[in-house]
Amino acid sequence: DGVTVLPAPQNLSVQSTNMKHLLTWSPVTVPGEIIYYFVEYQGEYESLYMSHIWIPSSWCSPTEGPECDITDDITATVPYKLRVRATLGSQTSAWSTLQHPFNRNSTTLTPPVMEVTKDGFHLVIKLEDLGPQFEFLVAYWRREPGAKEHVKVVRSRGIPVHLETMEPGAAYCVKVQTFVKAIRRHSPFSQAECVKVQGETLPL
Amino acid sequence: HIAEDTSDLLQHVKFQSSNFENILTWDSGLDSAPDIVYSVEYKKYGEREWLAKEGCQRITRKSCNLTMETGNFMEFYYARVTALSAGGRSATKMTDRFSSLQHTTIKPPDVTCIPKVRSIQMIVHPTSTPIRAGDGHRLSLEDVFSDLFYRLELQVNHTYQMHLGGKQRDYEFTGLTPDTEFLGTIMIFVPTWSKESAPYVCRVKTLPDRMWT
Amino acid sequence: GQEFQFGPCRVEGVVLQELWEAFRAMKDIVQAKDNITSVRLLRKEVLQNVSDTESCYLIRALLKFYLNTVFKNSLDKAADSRIRKSFSTLANNFFVIASKLQPSQEKEMFSTSESARRRFLLFQRAFQQLDIQAAQTKAFGEVDILLTWMEKFYQ
Repeated sequence: DGVTVLPAPQNLSVQSTNMKHLLTWSPVTVPGEIIYYFVEYQGEYESLYMSHIWIPSSWCSPTEGPECDITDDITATVPYKLRVRATLGSQTSAWSTLQHPFNRNSTTLTPPVMEVTKDGFHLVIKLEDLGPQFEFLVAYWRREPGAKEHVKVVRSRGIPVHLETMEPGAAYCVKVQTFVKAIRRHSPFSQAECVKVQGETLPL
Repeated sequence: HIAEDTSDLLQHVKFQSSNFENILTWDSGLDSAPDIVYSVEYKKYGEREWLAKEGCQRITRKSCNLTMETGNFMEFYYARVTALSAGGRSATKMTDRFSSLQHTTIKPPDVTCIPKVRSIQMIVHPTSTPIRAGDGHRLSLEDVFSDLFYRLELQVNHTYQMHLGGKQRDYEFTGLTPDTEFLGTIMIFVPTWSKESAPYVCRVKTLPDRMWT
Repeated sequence: GQEFQFGPCRVEGVVLQELWEAFRAMKDIVQAKDNITSVRLLRKEVLQNVSDTESCYLIRALLKFYLNTVFKNSLDKAADSRIRKSFSTLANNFFVIASKLQPSQEKEMFSTSESARRRFLLFQRAFQQLDIQAAQTKAFGEVDILLTWMEKFYQ
């Protein structure tokens, strides 16, 4: 190892939303110099069976900014240890390790963004693209007393999709939540959105 | 003794598999290789003996159909090719370990699209494979892949899509505008093997509504 | 969502496609290192016609062997970062599955667990007949055989 002169990065923390995990830390500054950081991780298996083994992060070995997208590195629902060190030329800092191991099942799942429109008698929904790990449970109903709630699993992301052919003169409401298989958790439901169909009748 | 470099005789020995039709292919490193003949052998992974493939001994073409010989989709196989030049030089190269279950790609399904006044019916026809069951009948893709399903998309005036899907073969997009053109695409999905076929595409126009004319 | 159901043993929170993706990323590299094509560790006698109740005992024994013996010494030699990342995905997900398997220890299950143990011993003996390095490389390269078998219990 190079001579340790640089201070180790401090205040490591992970912000995780909708299965996107971002490791951040306080930058190490040396006036007029560019500091590079190396990020490494260890899953529960490595820390129990081969604790000397650390794996370089996919995107941050090295990186300039005081943050690292570790989403592609976290590929099991187990606690992961993460560590960062700073380098300047041949100078390297000590490793700083995240205080508490990170587990992806702690990610924050937000109600998904949706766009409800209509085209003639077609009820159409467009859902944001959150990546392949997400399924969308779409609940929709006719806005009238005692109406039955229908549920559809929608996997297509980012493209408008027909949900239902509506009855003339009726109003329909829609709400949606996400489901993530890997951690078996749902997000809260989004706010319901309603649309009303014009009065003409659809010839049989 | 310096081993002679014969890599120019033989390269890229590999399986190409589509709907469980397993073809062994290879290249010769030379631009033209009129005097080279090739012989093919194969075996199951875990077995000692190599078996000569009848019909692919001392051939000049660079492919060999091993569908029958590698027909057990639960098995793993190797194949190897020996190239022999007129001048007596030879080279032998082996494939990677091959499993048709893992490697086969899925061709687009065969579909009949039937336009009506306010709907379009789509009938997906089963896809048979060369694989035979114990009683000799040919297995379909649905027989091999228990989680196979079809996904149908209908593009509506370039702004949104209608989706249908499932394991059944008969689908109907309803509530459509008469006398209007639609683009349908139908694909086969096998989730657990992350397999997705290229799409079958049909462009159809709903019939005019005679009632209002 | 989907889960593993090895007889009475249920395992959630593991996405089989993620394991396949990890193995596919290193399959050709790992299997190319195994040049003993005449020996197969996970033979038919080990995995074929395994009853549901037996499957929990067998998968647990196999995964523990992979975690303790096969994977443990493989990562050191895995210089290629693609392999290290894929390896970590497999090892940690195998660890999740193994830690959630609680096969019954009751007496009446003895014959079932014994049958599973005999199957496992077939595998282990074949492993021990090879040089340790060759055996680890071969077992590592046969993860697709294991995943193909595990697939039957993924619903």
